[in-house]
Amino acid sequence: MLAFAASRLLRALVTLFGASLLAFLVLRAMPSNPVRLIVGPFANDETIAAMTAKLGLDKPFYVQYVDYLLNFVTGNWGFSFSVGQPVLEHMALRVPASIELAIYAFIIAFLGAVLISVLASYSRSRAADGAARGFALLCVGVPPFWLSLVLLIVFFEQLGWLPGPSGRGPSPATAITGLYTLDALIGGQWAGLSENLRALTLPAIALALGPMGFLIRLLRANLLDVESEPFVTVLSAKGVPPIAIHFRHILPNAFLPTLTAAGLILAQLLGGSVLVERVFDWPGIGGYVMDGVLRQDYSAVQAFILLSAAAYIVVNLIVDLLYGWIDPRIRQS
Amino acid sequence: MALASAHPGETVAQPPAAETILDVVNLRTHFRTRRGVVKAVEDVSFRIRRGETLAVVGESGSGKSVTSLSIMRLVEQSGGEIAGGKMLFRRRDGTVADLAREAEPRMRSIRGNEIAMIFQEPMTSLDPVHTVGEQIAEAVRLHRGIGGRAAFAVAVEMLDYVGIPSARTRASDYPHQMSGGMRQRVMIAIALSCRPSLLIADEPTTALDVTIQAQILDLIARLQREQEMSVLFITHNLGVVAEIADRVVVMYAGRVVEAAEKRAIFKSPRHPYTIGLLASIPRVDRSERPGEGHKTRLVTMPGQSPPPLSRPPGCAFAPRCAMAVDRCRAGEPPLLALAPEHLSACIRAAEIGP
Repeated sequence: MLAFAASRLLRALVTLFGASLLAFLVLRAMPSNPVRLIVGPFANDETIAAMTAKLGLDKPFYVQYVDYLLNFVTGNWGFSFSVGQPVLEHMALRVPASIELAIYAFIIAFLGAVLISVLASYSRSRAADGAARGFALLCVGVPPFWLSLVLLIVFFEQLGWLPGPSGRGPSPATAITGLYTLDALIGGQWAGLSENLRALTLPAIALALGPMGFLIRLLRANLLDVESEPFVTVLSAKGVPPIAIHFRHILPNAFLPTLTAAGLILAQLLGGSVLVERVFDWPGIGGYVMDGVLRQDYSAVQAFILLSAAAYIVVNLIVDLLYGWIDPRIRQS
Repeated sequence: MALASAHPGETVAQPPAAETILDVVNLRTHFRTRRGVVKAVEDVSFRIRRGETLAVVGESGSGKSVTSLSIMRLVEQSGGEIAGGKMLFRRRDGTVADLAREAEPRMRSIRGNEIAMIFQEPMTSLDPVHTVGEQIAEAVRLHRGIGGRAAFAVAVEMLDYVGIPSARTRASDYPHQMSGGMRQRVMIAIALSCRPSLLIADEPTTALDVTIQAQILDLIARLQREQEMSVLFITHNLGVVAEIADRVVVMYAGRVVEAAEKRAIFKSPRHPYTIGLLASIPRVDRSERPGEGHKTRLVTMPGQSPPPLSRPPGCAFAPRCAMAVDRCRAGEPPLLALAPEHLSACIRAAEIGP
């Protein structure tokens, strides 16, 4: 298992290196000139040359690339003039908000999908299976921003159960991880925890339903495949109760494709969602990057590309390790 | 059809009832399909005594596997239903349970515990994501009330018992690390881990090569002697029957066509289908005899068994039978006793007689 983990880690590092190279090349291949954008249309040649030198753009490409890597690693991510703050400082505000929302949305999508599909297949009833499929189709088909509005109208405006589009809950006194719910939990501030959970609920559901529908469809198909395997009959012949057959035996065997898809979904959620963030006034990374692109704030975009690449790679590394943990045949090959 | 004579118990002297472990009476198992009701098993009766091996022989589609799945009450899972009959099973505590009517939770406490089953395909019969030791321990925990590590220790013992070398280390192996023969041994270890009084073996050696086949048959025979277990052995291979069975039930198109002790089946078969089956066994000694060897060809039975939705009226074997007369096609031939312990469902059985 250790050798397996080490080989996967090495592969992840190589991938991260490739992603950084790609991010670098794509930004250098852009037709616009960042110096011109910074100094403005009326600058003279000397100012341009000085700014070019200051940014290191007069150096050869490979030196620029190494500088870029070193700067990223040392936390020097440049100045984000769209918000008037260094990129790192601003990201430090935005990223935890996105991570928190992404994780909650992911938990809802993932657990919901597993429970709904396993219970539908466990019930062996056509009605339950049909309901699960219909629900999944609905989830996949509904656009999240529209769903956000509907959720707000029902649960905030009509019922008043959950807070409206006012962003994150109150920030707890202890700031350790930047994830308000986790910090409140660590600090033992139960009121803060509850308020933050309530603030998270609607945006998390709005983000979760689409991926959940997708996962239900995928997992259901794989569960059906595994259900007809001979070993399932053998388990029944052993007298194993159906609920144990489904959760302990069929689920792990049907799980690998779902795990891959879930990894991609988590990584995508971590990148933020512009529309849902806008509707709920959530201070996430998606809105920031969107503004960055529109205002040509390339330091911000560049940092975002690398961060999301890192997120994909870390999530996939975890998925790979889980693969080996679930399926011994992968661990040993 | 004369039901009284259809059941061996009614016509011949039986040992005391306590010796009968399973009494199947007029079992009928049906599958509802879009094109009609498939009567996979019709009026099948037989009984198995304590410590005895009963072989159920027939070709694919004869209903022999459905019979075994009916006893385990696993047919419901594959869309079948038990449409009639009784399956009286003597439990360990001495009570008799009718498996055809038991509720599912009670069936679960019998399955894998008092009646265990091994299957044809050892390569796909084990869950690939759990160790073999864990899969044996699962049965032990379920039925013997032994928990955690103690159950795993029992699993190691069982692996050793079924002849797997260095059982302690092999218990932590996953199924893919084992050969087909080894996996079938693991299956047997799972089946025997709760000391069942009846083992149903559904073609357990068909997927294995010949040398492994012999080992597995020897193993089953040895364990049967040691545990005083009854075995219901389902096979299409008469060579295996000759080796392992005490009594034989021959099935054709969902019905019992002949039932007798092994010797009687091989020496004086009383149904044309059984005769056909025996004639189609390839035999080395016949073809090697000088003079006739080069002329001997493998005898095959003409025709095929009828599709389950369009079985002919009367005797289902009549279309393939050289002895068939008009009377055969008129009505279902009853299963009649020709001698104590010898039943045949052929109206001309007397003419075939020894």
